Amino acid sequence: MNVNDARDLLWLAGGLYGLAFAIGFLKTFKINWAPLHEAPLASISLGFIFHTRALYIRGLEVHGCPLGNALERTQFILWSLILAFLILRLIWRLDLLGSFCAGLAFGAGWLSLLIPNCDPNYWHAANYQKLFSNPWIELHASIAIFSYGLFLLLAIVSVMYLIQRKALLSRKFDKLGSFLPPIQDLEVAAMRLLSVGVLFLTISILVGGMHWTRHPEFVSAGKLGITLLLWLGYTVVFFLHATRRLYGSKFAKVTILFFIFAIASLTLVNSRTREKSAGKLSTETSKQNLQL
Amino acid sequence: MNGKDNQSLFLLGSSHQVADLSVRERISLPPDSIDEFYNGLSEIPGLDECLLLNTCNRTEIYGATKSSCSLGSISQYLSEFRKLEPDFLQRYSYQRSNHEVISHLFEVTSGIDSQMVGETEILGQVKKAYNDAFKRNVSGKMLNRLFQKGFQAAKWARTNTGISRGQVNLGNVLCELARRIFGKVANCRLLVVGAGEVAENTMEAFKSRGSQAITVTGRTFDWCPLIPRKPDELAEKFGGFAVSFNQFKESMHLFDVVLTSTSSGQSMIDYKDILQTMKKRPSKPLFLIDAAVPRNIDERVSKIDNVFLYNMDDVSAIANENLKSRMNEVDRCRGALAHRAQKLWEQMTQQREAT
Repeated sequence: MNVNDARDLLWLAGGLYGLAFAIGFLKTFKINWAPLHEAPLASISLGFIFHTRALYIRGLEVHGCPLGNALERTQFILWSLILAFLILRLIWRLDLLGSFCAGLAFGAGWLSLLIPNCDPNYWHAANYQKLFSNPWIELHASIAIFSYGLFLLLAIVSVMYLIQRKALLSRKFDKLGSFLPPIQDLEVAAMRLLSVGVLFLTISILVGGMHWTRHPEFVSAGKLGITLLLWLGYTVVFFLHATRRLYGSKFAKVTILFFIFAIASLTLVNSRTREKSAGKLSTETSKQNLQL
Repeated sequence: MNGKDNQSLFLLGSSHQVADLSVRERISLPPDSIDEFYNGLSEIPGLDECLLLNTCNRTEIYGATKSSCSLGSISQYLSEFRKLEPDFLQRYSYQRSNHEVISHLFEVTSGIDSQMVGETEILGQVKKAYNDAFKRNVSGKMLNRLFQKGFQAAKWARTNTGISRGQVNLGNVLCELARRIFGKVANCRLLVVGAGEVAENTMEAFKSRGSQAITVTGRTFDWCPLIPRKPDELAEKFGGFAVSFNQFKESMHLFDVVLTSTSSGQSMIDYKDILQTMKKRPSKPLFLIDAAVPRNIDERVSKIDNVFLYNMDDVSAIANENLKSRMNEVDRCRGALAHRAQKLWEQMTQQREAT
């Protein structure tokens, strides 16, 4: 274990999230051992520290915000997810949400580390230049990815809502349902996450838009269209919920579908630019690739 | 009592495990006779410490002695005090000594010996009995230690095993369901249509969780102005309000939980009523409980988004499942408590040998 190696630290952070998930799962089913009461939160917090350090080290290596390949984007979204959870945890005691987040951060985090193609060392290319042409674009990208983290948390909350709702509608004894938060609280939490997510995505688009007006050649029309479509979709969902026209299970399902679309759009744009570059990772394409 | 030991614990008791209600009524001590009973008990030769646990489900006498004191003399005293045939008491009672007493007390305080497994009321009753004996100065070093350890064992069992998991009382099951929908039960507005045991049980459970908005309605509210009206009585009993039966449907959107328990024998709340109600509170869930047989609420309302309908079969099934889950934990809990009891008894006997 090298504490100055980003990948080693990401393995460690993922392991700690996994540990938090395992303890949280046991706690959910009342298999308690007193010394482990606060262990899930401690494990998540420790994992988050290692996660932050890993992204920092990778950032130093790539001379910018580490968003240059699938592994970095996955890890940045998961980092945002955990950060959003820790902020939310200050307001509500949502232990089971922590378990869901930790489980996802562990599974997706380790999976991205296990697939070698996810992490090409693009910054070692001979003609490599900084990923981002200026700090505003870096800010735009990082805020956009953070909003994705919030939307991921929103999707998790929506999944919890649907599980709780299904358990209540089944009118049967349900162990998991009794440990999940109340559906009314979950819907309130989902709405708050949606509003903060839309706010961050809007800021990100505004910041990116300022750069785009000066250098439109860096952003493809498809990418711009998908990003605006996603923003419009989330904004419309926000207003429909605020005006009580979309709520309950439909609201939860829509937010999950939108997140799937958001992740799919990231992959879509990534694969398109890869085809364009035909195996050669030029600075221009990597710049285009990163205009989120 | 073990004749070899010169310091021993013993117990004579009767509970729901060995006696039915009519027998327990004969053995149980009336509250106003406790002083007299203790006076006579402490005069039994050789009895150094004693403690009486007297609840609706059990009458138990715990004792400790350094010299010779037989359980027979305690049994004889209780028979005489309650004017019972000695054979009768022997048939409907049990006797324990030394480490068996510790195991038994641990099982009592943790609730696994209770009629409703895992209930917590018994712990308060044991604490009350212990405080009473302590104030009377009839409990001493051995019983004090035994009962303090009993309270710790109860806490351990509730924290580390599932014996208190899930609600088994129907009113509490409904509160738990309301919590899973709305969060704090104290903030829920409850409307009760009709009366009956389940309705009262539910109101009591909601009230005990801090619910301030309990409203009652019923058919007698409107057509019997001259006789005492049940909705009014119920509302008064639980500090709530009563509304006219003719108007309750129009104000149903103001309530989070609606419980129907009338004997009208017909469907009283139909699909259209709930559809209208939900139009006025689209994003807020509505929890409907149909406690009537035949049912008062149209089953189809459960198809409406954000509406959760339960009938008494559903609620009873959940209560039974919770009870089953508790029962599955009893053996594990009993084994662990027996181990703790054995350890405590070893410590007590070692201390005795040392002194």
